[in-house]
Amino acid sequence: MTTTSEPPLQLTAGEQLVRPSTSLGVLSRPKGDTGWQSWLFTVDHKRIGIMYGAAALLFLVMGGVEALLIRLQLAVPGGSVLSEDAYNQVFTMHGVTMVFLVIMPMAAAFANYLLPLQIGARDVAFPRLNAFSLWCFLAGGIFLNTSWFLGGAPDGGWFGYAPNSGLVYSPSNGMDFYALGLQIAGIASLVSAINLITTVLNMRAPGMTLFRMPVLSWMLLVVQFLLLFAIPVITVALFLLSFDRLFDANFFNVAAGADPLLWQHLFWIFGHPEVYILILPAFGIMSEVIPTFSRKPIFIAIGFMGWGVWAHHMFTSGMGPVSVAAFSLSTMFIAVPTGVKILNWLATMWGGRIRFTTAMLYSVGAVAMFTIGGLSGVTHAVAPADTQQTDTYYIVAHFHYVIFGGSLMGMLSGIYFWWPKMFGHKLDEKLGKIGFWVLLIGFNLTFGPMHILGLQGMSRRIHSYAADSGFNLWNLFATVGSFVIAVGVLLFFWNIGVSRRRARGAPPVGPDPWDARGLEWMTASPTPTHNFDRDITVTRQDEFWHRKWRIGDDGKVTRIARSEDVAHDGSATDVHLPSPSYWPFVVALGLPLVAYGLIYNLWITGLGALVILGGLYAWVFEPPDDPEAHAHDDHHDADPSDDSGNGASGGGTSPNGDGEPDSGDGTRQLAEAGVAGGPSAQATEEQP
Amino acid sequence: MMGARTRGRLGGRFWRRLRLVLIALGAALALTACADEHPLDTLTEAGPDAQEINDLFFPVLGVAIVVFFLVQGAIIYMVMRYRVRRREAAAAAADSDSDDFYGDEDYPEQVHGNLRLELAWTIIPTILLAVISVFTLISIVELNEVTAAEDDLRVTVVGQQWWWEFQYHLDGDTSTPPDIVTANELVMPVRQQVPLEITSRDVIHSFWIPQLNGKRDAVPGRTHPWVIEANEPGRYMGQCTEFCGLSHAYMRMYAVVLEPAEWEEWVQGQMVDAAPLQPGEPGYDGQEVFLANCANCHVVNGVTDVDLDDQLDGMDDYAGGNTITSALVAGAAPNLTHLASRTTFAGSIFELYEDRAERIPYLEVAVRGDLNRGDLEAWIRDAPDRKANDADGARGMTAFPGLTEGEIDALVEYLMTLR
Repeated sequence: MTTTSEPPLQLTAGEQLVRPSTSLGVLSRPKGDTGWQSWLFTVDHKRIGIMYGAAALLFLVMGGVEALLIRLQLAVPGGSVLSEDAYNQVFTMHGVTMVFLVIMPMAAAFANYLLPLQIGARDVAFPRLNAFSLWCFLAGGIFLNTSWFLGGAPDGGWFGYAPNSGLVYSPSNGMDFYALGLQIAGIASLVSAINLITTVLNMRAPGMTLFRMPVLSWMLLVVQFLLLFAIPVITVALFLLSFDRLFDANFFNVAAGADPLLWQHLFWIFGHPEVYILILPAFGIMSEVIPTFSRKPIFIAIGFMGWGVWAHHMFTSGMGPVSVAAFSLSTMFIAVPTGVKILNWLATMWGGRIRFTTAMLYSVGAVAMFTIGGLSGVTHAVAPADTQQTDTYYIVAHFHYVIFGGSLMGMLSGIYFWWPKMFGHKLDEKLGKIGFWVLLIGFNLTFGPMHILGLQGMSRRIHSYAADSGFNLWNLFATVGSFVIAVGVLLFFWNIGVSRRRARGAPPVGPDPWDARGLEWMTASPTPTHNFDRDITVTRQDEFWHRKWRIGDDGKVTRIARSEDVAHDGSATDVHLPSPSYWPFVVALGLPLVAYGLIYNLWITGLGALVILGGLYAWVFEPPDDPEAHAHDDHHDADPSDDSGNGASGGGTSPNGDGEPDSGDGTRQLAEAGVAGGPSAQATEEQP
Repeated sequence: MMGARTRGRLGGRFWRRLRLVLIALGAALALTACADEHPLDTLTEAGPDAQEINDLFFPVLGVAIVVFFLVQGAIIYMVMRYRVRRREAAAAAADSDSDDFYGDEDYPEQVHGNLRLELAWTIIPTILLAVISVFTLISIVELNEVTAAEDDLRVTVVGQQWWWEFQYHLDGDTSTPPDIVTANELVMPVRQQVPLEITSRDVIHSFWIPQLNGKRDAVPGRTHPWVIEANEPGRYMGQCTEFCGLSHAYMRMYAVVLEPAEWEEWVQGQMVDAAPLQPGEPGYDGQEVFLANCANCHVVNGVTDVDLDDQLDGMDDYAGGNTITSALVAGAAPNLTHLASRTTFAGSIFELYEDRAERIPYLEVAVRGDLNRGDLEAWIRDAPDRKANDADGARGMTAFPGLTEGEIDALVEYLMTLR
């Protein structure tokens, strides 16, 4: 099998039979790390993360334009900017875009970029699958939006209630695009969830136990599990809808004996965890930003108890026919863990030394706005009150305070916070702060009045209201506010442009511009392709911070090392990385073909299926570029018992116990790392 | 040391700013109060059920507002108290020999948590919510209580794109054909609980008269019980609140609440079928136009000669949706037997009479003012132009480009005989 000149095959865990890297025509790996190919065929989790983020921002603009159209239509009674039909398409696509194509991929951007860094890994567990997730998501999003040019976008609301979403009541192809587009995007989420869960469970740096992971990593891990359970449910629902519309399956046809509430059950079994999927990543971000700029560790002793209550709610409310009372009570009691979370952030700030950077402003703003959303949530968790408020603008106000005020602001905070890590320069702080205040004011001007409108009885999803309904004043306010938000968002993009131009030619910002706590700051900025020069052995929570600072017996914090001295400089050249690949992109390309075919012509579906099968075949059989390139899964999962030994030696107050090469106890560390690290292609940091 | 200094400086400014915020809030509330009337207002209840809901909502809202001020106050306080001011930041940067973000000397005490504190702020809200939930449970039980007797009036509410039908069962037996079928205006007696059975013929709608009670979804194939009751006579606006397609916004309705004597009179009037007009009688020409163009969908009891049971069968077919692709079905449009006795038409988006102030007395059509001829004729001429629909797909009223103006005038004259 092997050529005589090569050394004998060595089989180690996770390695495959190595094929010679002679050219096999198209079945060779792409080369080159510059130009468009380096993005299109990359499997680097950081590039994939950045592309996720860029796509999410692009869709944010589209969803934002849709929002402005809605607000223009509702600015005055009897608005005539949009027809009824167009309005229904626009509000449907606004919801679908913001939920599935903005907040979720934005969270995926952070997860992709930061999870491997925060746990000290070189990449995710399945780099090619990761690339496939990105292209799959993008394929779904673009496919969905092509409906605008193909006879009309979805018009049944983001919730797509049957039977209004059926062929009789929604005769355009819009809802087909909805069902198939979300199906494709769902594949992306599911694949990504499995990938990231595997990454966290298997690829943590030596000593990085689960409970030493940063809060953001935790939140992202929880979100991946939620996706793993929630996405299959919406997949089923969307399949039923597609079969109803495309093949007369009658799943939701009342005349054929169906109960249209089936859709609602399925949709909300998905939709409920979806709420946490949207908010938890932002919670994680805020839990990184607030401690950093308060110069205090996150204030949690029993925080995880709260998450337990949360999950409990999720499982009880989703299943079976739920009595109104049980649902109401369980919904109400989510307020407890949520409130605990808010108080934890406040307690973290208490007694701190707070720097109001733009990132911190956004995080504190998100806490304040999310509090409002949470409180209005309690007022309609009271089921009788909800019979008045549901499907009114009170609810619109509520979930915008949660998802815009909480999720999006939290993520903007994250963008400002990690931008220097991703691109090697900070975003302009002055523009950022102006942008924050503009956004905050616009946000409250838009969504604050909606509480009043809702209580005054304004229904959701109406394209028009009568002049004598008494809704005129606050709708005008909201419309003005929405354009203030637009200015805030434009300032954000302007800031990106200005800061990039200024950074051109300037030396990159240091590895740790904020004096932060996570491992991601322990390498150069922008992050080198191979992440870390050496494996990092972790001995406690906030490992990186403890390598910079010592807490004395009197509680006083003194510096023991500069960030630059602790952090890796990115100069290593011997780190093996997975090779780029054509096939994730090709396979993802086949999916929209299948979907178009289902709507227009089954032959196109056949073509798409061939593309997918061919792509998968090539994916499986493509060669590694060099024999070492496949030795990618470094088994970093730490044995807890080994870890406790480390922790004891490191201690809470020991400055640098795990040791850089120069720290004295390197020999012992080397032995331990050998046990903990297992076979690894990457040098551990203890090796001289 | 420095803390004390900051606090002293903080006090005055904090209260000044807080006062500004309060003034702004007060001004906003005043503006709301001054605005014109809100016919769908959930907070000005006019019935015992809406009352019950608000009695629960306001205390919860109060608690939420208190928590709101506590949390936001805490945030504002900490922002001012613990903020590193620009001058201090500059000084710290000058002291430090590194280009790190902070100076080296200003780390506060590193507190990781406080078990007792965290237990407290977990347990206190739990108790608070437990108290609220007791009242919530009581409310849920009370709101679902039907006090009306078995043989009292019951109304079947049927939603469809995009109007409401009300089928009256005077003896409370909903298994028999209804005694009265009307559209868009739910006429009911004052201070009497009216049990409703809510359903739909096509997609999901939601029945909501906010001043009387919360909303209830109308789901095809299911019947949802609900009750409604008003304290005072009057006309209370409602709106479909579950998204139901093109003209969702134009699916409104009214509850018209009458004193018992008027209610009896209204019932007697509605029980009478229309008499077919004979040649020469005023409105006869219009009747001919009606029978030739409108009777395919609209029923006038006694004139269109359709048995009510058959009508309902037809509606069941219509509810199938998927099975019907072409012609509109008789009974799929509002029953017009007593059209002129109503005050609105086309899903209650148009007033039938000019003088909108004269809403009550409901029964004396003559004193309501002149016919709103403009909207009515425009509606007959080209309904899709006034209210988006999909008439080809059996959803909504079609346009009648073939009708001459003379025919439309005659038709309107006929419709006004349907009192």
